[in-house]
Amino acid sequence: MTKKLIGLKEAVSLYIPDGATVFVGGFGQCIPFATAHEIIRQQRKDLVLCRSGADILFDLLIAAGCVRKVVFGYLGNPGVGLAHAYRRAVEAGEIETEDWTNFAMVLRLHAGALGVPFLPTATLAGGDTPNASIDIRPVTCPFTGEPLTAVPALRPDVAIIHGQFADEDGNVQMYGLPGDTVDGALASENVVATVERIVSREEIRSRPERTIVPGFRVAAVCHVPWGAHPSYVEGFYGRDDAAYSAWDQLARDAKKLTEWIDAEIRRVPEFGAYLKRLEPGLLEALAAARGRNLETLS
Amino acid sequence: MTAELSESARFVGLAAREIMDGQVCFVGIGVPSLAAMAAKRHHAPDMVLVYESGAVDSDPPVPPLSTGSPTVVANTSMVTSCLGVFAMLQQGYLDRGLLSAAQVDRFGNLNSTVIGDYAKPKVRMVGSGGAHDIALLAREVIIMMPHDPRRFVPEVDFITSPGLWSGEKGPEGRRPRGRGPTCLMTPRARFTFAAGELTLDALADGVGEDEALEGIRWEVPRASTVRRLPPIEPKLAAIATELVESWGAAL
Repeated sequence: MTKKLIGLKEAVSLYIPDGATVFVGGFGQCIPFATAHEIIRQQRKDLVLCRSGADILFDLLIAAGCVRKVVFGYLGNPGVGLAHAYRRAVEAGEIETEDWTNFAMVLRLHAGALGVPFLPTATLAGGDTPNASIDIRPVTCPFTGEPLTAVPALRPDVAIIHGQFADEDGNVQMYGLPGDTVDGALASENVVATVERIVSREEIRSRPERTIVPGFRVAAVCHVPWGAHPSYVEGFYGRDDAAYSAWDQLARDAKKLTEWIDAEIRRVPEFGAYLKRLEPGLLEALAAARGRNLETLS
Repeated sequence: MTAELSESARFVGLAAREIMDGQVCFVGIGVPSLAAMAAKRHHAPDMVLVYESGAVDSDPPVPPLSTGSPTVVANTSMVTSCLGVFAMLQQGYLDRGLLSAAQVDRFGNLNSTVIGDYAKPKVRMVGSGGAHDIALLAREVIIMMPHDPRRFVPEVDFITSPGLWSGEKGPEGRRPRGRGPTCLMTPRARFTFAAGELTLDALADGVGEDEALEGIRWEVPRASTVRRLPPIEPKLAAIATELVESWGAAL
């Protein structure tokens, strides 16, 4: 078997080419910010980003000039407001948008993961959402005659996800909210996973029901502690709500935002160096809000 | 009116009263979450809160900033996937969808997508999230809007989530599975859609009809008898006040 446990730099370089359609995992928690930083450092262009509820990771990659198109149900700064870099890009006509709904995106990914070309659904009917930017078709149930909407399967080139644990074979385990991560990862051709901790095969096999993607479907697994900051990881650290609020201020100013991305991401060698630049004591405080102690679970 | 009750707390209290014990509610962030939490703590202990992130039967210790925040899962009976909760919604198990939006119109259509033209928007907003799905698939929708006349428009710029089903914009032969919006709450009043459009139904304690409709740019029909809602009970007022304070922002 080819070696799957590699560095994040190498993983991004091997599996995330310019123009790739990228599913971004995580919902509230486990949002793969470290991978996004590495994508920025490697100056990827023309990416198509997709998921159901997208947060400021999308805004960051758009601000860094890596994105051609976004395909989503929601794109904002949860609990705070709008995604300002995205907003500027749309209003300037610099980015393409497909406005789905969260359920429709989940169904599209699930269809991809099921290996079927579409799924029927009772949503996406009425109002302007069905007609504005997306390709859906009417479909009639062959058994009951019920009129429904067909949504097409989505098969991203690569999924970037973050989890708590993995072994060197690439079996990835997740605790807490999975959101649409499992459907998105299994719909994608390749999976690049970052995890908080690399554990032994025995440990993975002691709780196999926690494995969300089997090793044979994973292209690369990278050990990146704190790799989901400023989102949270159940059992490891709490959500950095202040960073989401700070983003709201920072992202309103395109010039300041570019300077921030240069200083905190482009000019640092890797994610660990970004972490070292955070306010002293912050990581300790977030670690204290880690939620459940996974060490005592099995 | 209880003199010391803030407008935000009154809003949460009024909206909480619309949620009954035993109901299964699909809850969004902001007022919908605060109202559902207040109802659960006050009069609806067996109400089931469902968040689109996958938390089912959640009882958040503090109001969540996002549907996937740690507090949503800190005290919940089940964590499933987004697919898991939307499946329950599509099956028809969600009694109530609690929604808010940037704009609402006289037919209960909600806009959270763009201000201005879709192709060349003045303001690009966050999009549907689960709102369009909830509007179509929850058995009944309750809309919660702050009293901000700019957000009440005769016709929304973009119908993210359809309100009363006119059929005009919908595909032939399609009907939503649920009843759509039945009630809209503001901090000042309760509205229904009884007259086939937004209709003033009842006034909050101490609020006059003019105040309830202040700034709204069209003639809102009134129920034949506009009722007077009882003052928010002291216990509910205290719960609502505590929730609004821990939320930390005006609603």
